[in-house]
Amino acid sequence: MESLHGLGTAADWVVMLVYFFGIMLFGSYFAKYNRSTNDFFFGGRRFAWWLITVSIVATGVGSHSFVKYSAKGFEHGISSTMTYMNDWFFMPFFLFGWLPIVVYTKIRSIPEYFEKRFSPVARRVATVFQLLYMVGYLGIGLLTLGKVFTPLLPATIDIFGLSIPVTLMGVIIVVAAVTGTYTTFGGQTAVIFTDLIQGLILLFAGFLIFLMGISYVGGLDAFWHLLPPDWRLPLADFNTPPDFNFVGIFWQDGVAGSVGFLFMNMGLLMRFMSAKSVDEGRKAAVFNVLFMLPLSAIVVGNAGWIGKALTEMVPSQLNSNVNPDEIFVAVTHIISTKGVFGFVIAALTATLLSTVDSLINAIAAVYMNDVHHPIKNYFKKSKKVRTAEQDAKEELAAARIASIVITALGIIATIPFSKYPTVYEAHGYFHSTLTPPLVIAIFLGVFWKKFTPAGVLATFLGGSSLMILGARYPGILISPVAHGTPMDPVHPFSYISALYNTLACLGVGVLVTYTFKWQKKIVEKIRKANSHDIGMKISIGAIVVSLLMVWFNIGTLPLLLITTLIMTILVSLTSQYYIKFNPDVHLDGLTAWSIHRAKEIFKGSKINEREGEIIKAHWRLRKDNEDYISVSKENMKKMHAEVGDLVYICDARKYLGGLKSVHTKFGEPHDEPGIVYIGEEHKLSALFQEGKILTVEKEM
Amino acid sequence: MPSFTHSWLPFIYLYFFGGLFFFGGMIIIHKSNSLDLRLKKNRWWRKVLYFGYFYFLIIHSILIIAALYW
Repeated sequence: MESLHGLGTAADWVVMLVYFFGIMLFGSYFAKYNRSTNDFFFGGRRFAWWLITVSIVATGVGSHSFVKYSAKGFEHGISSTMTYMNDWFFMPFFLFGWLPIVVYTKIRSIPEYFEKRFSPVARRVATVFQLLYMVGYLGIGLLTLGKVFTPLLPATIDIFGLSIPVTLMGVIIVVAAVTGTYTTFGGQTAVIFTDLIQGLILLFAGFLIFLMGISYVGGLDAFWHLLPPDWRLPLADFNTPPDFNFVGIFWQDGVAGSVGFLFMNMGLLMRFMSAKSVDEGRKAAVFNVLFMLPLSAIVVGNAGWIGKALTEMVPSQLNSNVNPDEIFVAVTHIISTKGVFGFVIAALTATLLSTVDSLINAIAAVYMNDVHHPIKNYFKKSKKVRTAEQDAKEELAAARIASIVITALGIIATIPFSKYPTVYEAHGYFHSTLTPPLVIAIFLGVFWKKFTPAGVLATFLGGSSLMILGARYPGILISPVAHGTPMDPVHPFSYISALYNTLACLGVGVLVTYTFKWQKKIVEKIRKANSHDIGMKISIGAIVVSLLMVWFNIGTLPLLLITTLIMTILVSLTSQYYIKFNPDVHLDGLTAWSIHRAKEIFKGSKINEREGEIIKAHWRLRKDNEDYISVSKENMKKMHAEVGDLVYICDARKYLGGLKSVHTKFGEPHDEPGIVYIGEEHKLSALFQEGKILTVEKEM
Repeated sequence: MPSFTHSWLPFIYLYFFGGLFFFGGMIIIHKSNSLDLRLKKNRWWRKVLYFGYFYFLIIHSILIIAALYW
């Protein structure tokens, strides 16, 4: 394959550096909106749906997408869009299951949900899976950044007579430092606002390439007919070739990927959690999937389609043997002028940074909630009396340090991934192996009331063991579900293995849950034995030995399958023995079957769902600093509001997207229509401006 | 002319198995009362959800017809 080098001119690099510097300053500006870790990670739950939608575009389309989908567009045509157009099937589950639960239970990370729904042990195991997945994902993001930039750079850069060699790792470190800076200081509000700008630039640049490309090849009709017939179809061939087939990609991306993206991607969830309400989050999700994803599919893949048309039109202009991972840069270079090339590369930079910045922010959130806080609580023996303000400052500082450390870990994670031949394979490997256990655990946890702690732990340990065996013996274990997909001996069943992995985890979780009564009887008998405690400790040891046997492939396949079965049984029994599961507590407001309760818990009292008006009012400051606002009796009536109801007050200027807003409660009403009395903290948190009108909206 | 396994078979598979997940999801959120149809806004959301399924089905079928016959 042919590799490209030194495509970036001085003008292009000036554009990119100006962009980098500008975005860093812009992001850091939003640090003033962070008064707590809630603001830092979730942007204070205040934003309008359209702001979330555009920021999701920049994140969802980010990192590997341009490189990956342009490559697939070049190799296989319009079917590169199919991964962006198969996300709707799980929307009912997300909009009316997971999203309200995440918001109303006020969880700050997915592992925290596992503690509430199952047990602290389930949380610890989920944290390991989640952090491994996210840090690895960050590493892949940074590696892609390096791979995109390096071909643009000369072999060395001369500054003040010093000749600095340009290496992949050097590029990764510089980019990571820039991204880490504004995420560290700006937090989620910075991420959302920088992504707003970046998302818009991305869409504009993507369509610019498309239009320039269409014009370059002689119009839409010429472009369409230059593409070979198979390249025009929107879905890939059913089960061939092994590296790009419909059925494999349906299960890998349409099922595991879609559920993973909607349910497990903490970066995405944090965007929805920063929306002002659940309904606003739903609007953002729907608008994103219905309109932004199909548009994004064109934006990320069209350079590949244009590249294919170019090779058919003028074979000498673009070598058909070009490295597909470089097709985006190659095509853009051919069809655009110098200034435009720089702009497009800056847009690509935008998307790459967007994914990386939200990942850093999301991993920091998981670290703070699932590692920092539990450890801090464990060692909480300090006699010092601390104020809430001191605690908040310390938390914010810890969150910022975590962002820096995570950025560094992401850089280290690029080292093993850089050994894979392409980013696509590195990403595919991570995606197919670490997504199914968490996805199945979350899905069953939310939608199946019977799903037990034993079931979830068996899904994690037994399911992942079966997945490891599947990866080692694909011809025996994955073949039966491969739908006739041929097995590539080097990378066996890259996509359809997702179906096997999902079935393995689902099967283990369901079987263990359905045998709950048997487990209970066995554990009751064990408890009656004299040395039951020692027996259970031995069984924990046996679980560890079994895991090591599977991980290090000690034994034949039948032996390892039997070992996995025994381990799964032992996991079920030890979970049953040690974990106290109370359905009244562990299911209350934590499944799709108790959303109404989740709302009540969120509010702290009975909810008021009568639909009222949204009113506008001038604000005045109260003398005290209690967390409530007061409006007139007349306005309370218009809103159908009662004292104690939750309320959202926001600067009435819609273009701010909720940046200046705050959530609070209704206090006792007064007799001054058109006036809302707020506390000092409301003013400081929302940065309300004197003389500006506010909207007041009853939530529930 | 592209083969059936590259044109309509993936389409049928996508909307059959995808449909099982989608309509299964609709039944669950309805039965669990998470989609409480007593609320006006939830009745609107139900329409949006069904619209989305058929919206993508129609887009894909138009694209396949265009690829085969244009």
